[in-house]
Amino acid sequence: MSGVASGGVVLRGVTKRFVTPTGAAMTAIRDINLTVEPGQFVAIVGPTGCGKSTTLTLASGLDMPSGGTVTVNGKDVTGITKGASFVFQTDALMPWKSVEANVALGPTFRGVSKADALKLARNWLKTVGLAGFEKHYPHQLSGGMRKRVSLAAALINEPTMLMMDEPFSALDVQTRAIMSNELLTLWEKSRPSVMFVTHDLEEAIALADKVVVITAGPGTVKATFEVDLPRPRGAVQEIRFQPRFLELYQQIWESLREEVERAYSRQADPNAVRGAA
Amino acid sequence: MTQMDTVAGQGTSDGRKEESAIAAAARARFRTRKILVHTTQIAILVLGLGFWEIGSRIGWIDPFFFGSPLGIVQRLADWFANGTAYGSFWDQIWITLEESILGFVFGVASGVVFGILLGEVPFLADVFGPYIKIVNALPRIVLGSIFVIWLGLGLPSKVLLAAVLVFFVVFFNAFQGVRSVDRNLVANARILGASRLQVVRHVVVPSAMTWIIASLHVALGFSIIGAIVGEFLGAQGGLGLVIATSQNTFDASGVFGAMLVIGVLALGAEALMTQLEHRLLAWRPKSTSENNIAGL
Repeated sequence: MSGVASGGVVLRGVTKRFVTPTGAAMTAIRDINLTVEPGQFVAIVGPTGCGKSTTLTLASGLDMPSGGTVTVNGKDVTGITKGASFVFQTDALMPWKSVEANVALGPTFRGVSKADALKLARNWLKTVGLAGFEKHYPHQLSGGMRKRVSLAAALINEPTMLMMDEPFSALDVQTRAIMSNELLTLWEKSRPSVMFVTHDLEEAIALADKVVVITAGPGTVKATFEVDLPRPRGAVQEIRFQPRFLELYQQIWESLREEVERAYSRQADPNAVRGAA
Repeated sequence: MTQMDTVAGQGTSDGRKEESAIAAAARARFRTRKILVHTTQIAILVLGLGFWEIGSRIGWIDPFFFGSPLGIVQRLADWFANGTAYGSFWDQIWITLEESILGFVFGVASGVVFGILLGEVPFLADVFGPYIKIVNALPRIVLGSIFVIWLGLGLPSKVLLAAVLVFFVVFFNAFQGVRSVDRNLVANARILGASRLQVVRHVVVPSAMTWIIASLHVALGFSIIGAIVGEFLGAQGGLGLVIATSQNTFDASGVFGAMLVIGVLALGAEALMTQLEHRLLAWRPKSTSENNIAGL
């Protein structure tokens, strides 16, 4: 628990309930305890509908917990978390703004002058390998390129924590591997703490320092695994052949499989009440 | 490796030739089709007008009730040359145009402002929603009579009627546009540090713009309808008055002639609007129908 006051994220006994349109209360996550050390890369895995994304929205301050406390950088979250950036599953780019204007949004909102913001944006586009595409509109780019723009737009604010909600799940397998490598390279440079939600266990182990398994909904932390693979990890595609990787994969999958099966059988059973604790 | 390269190289140069041949053939097919479409369109027009003209001469169609193409042209020529009973014909056109434009501008501006305001503030939407629905359910054309009583026979009553007609079209679209903004975009902007006003300016308004612009075409038609109907109900000039006078004197050619002029005005305005739309929505990907020209 070192350095909790100077950075990182701590969730203590966090519960989130929603009221469904029919008026019933639904518990999305229940009593989650989770710590992200400053500069740590934490992957959160779990079956569909277990509340992984909810956890992220609570940490980012987009939503408030129904119970428990969320602390980021040593402060309780009461509004939008300062110093956090979010990368969504579907790219949250403004289709009516050029690529550079999209990346420049963060500085613009913070009051940086338009010219300086654009200059900064162009630098970041260079960093993510998109020099020459500054004036394009998002729809003119491929899925992988749009993801790069999203990354640049998130990193330009120099976040101390980066929240990623299945960021690469809409990409094809090859592009996803390339983007994973690139994410690691970028992350090594500034080392923000990362909360990375995914349902791809391989991706989780290849990227993270710590993998958190969430139970089938209502989600709570089932187990936490430290990933002791050395850094820098190098190519994500190759690390998965290392014996230690396979060992970890087996361990974590053992834990995850039960939850996936539970979530699946619940889905298949029409009489089951969804989300009942 | 080198072998493969050469094979691939040959393949592409052959492929390129083939592709350009296909493209040329498709272009030729496209051109022929376009000519065919236009020729048929002109033929239909000529046939229709010819039937009308000849019919009215040999007595199949009563020119007293239905006019005739040549009669309409003569009537228009007379109006343009000698003016109408209440001044030059150009003046009448300008009066109607002025009323429509002013009505359009006021209607669009108020529709956009209220649409965005109510879309952004759910409390206001809940409070005012039923009232707006009630007013919308009224046959608003009838409001024209009230406006003439209030504001007299001059320009303001017509502008107000046109603006009211335009307002509702634009308002509902702007409102819907604001409501259907991608929540992800809003969340992203907020995390990036946007204030509420910045969210509105950078996310909500541009996003709703697609909806608003879609409504402008309809709104444009309504602004002209508002002006003309207003003139019907009581005016000292304008194309609506020209039509009403022609109606009272059983001058079918006059009615048709004024209608024709209004049609030309509406088409011109529509063309301008399309230009504006392309300008404002330049960021939008071309729709697939625009990309795939017929026959390609």
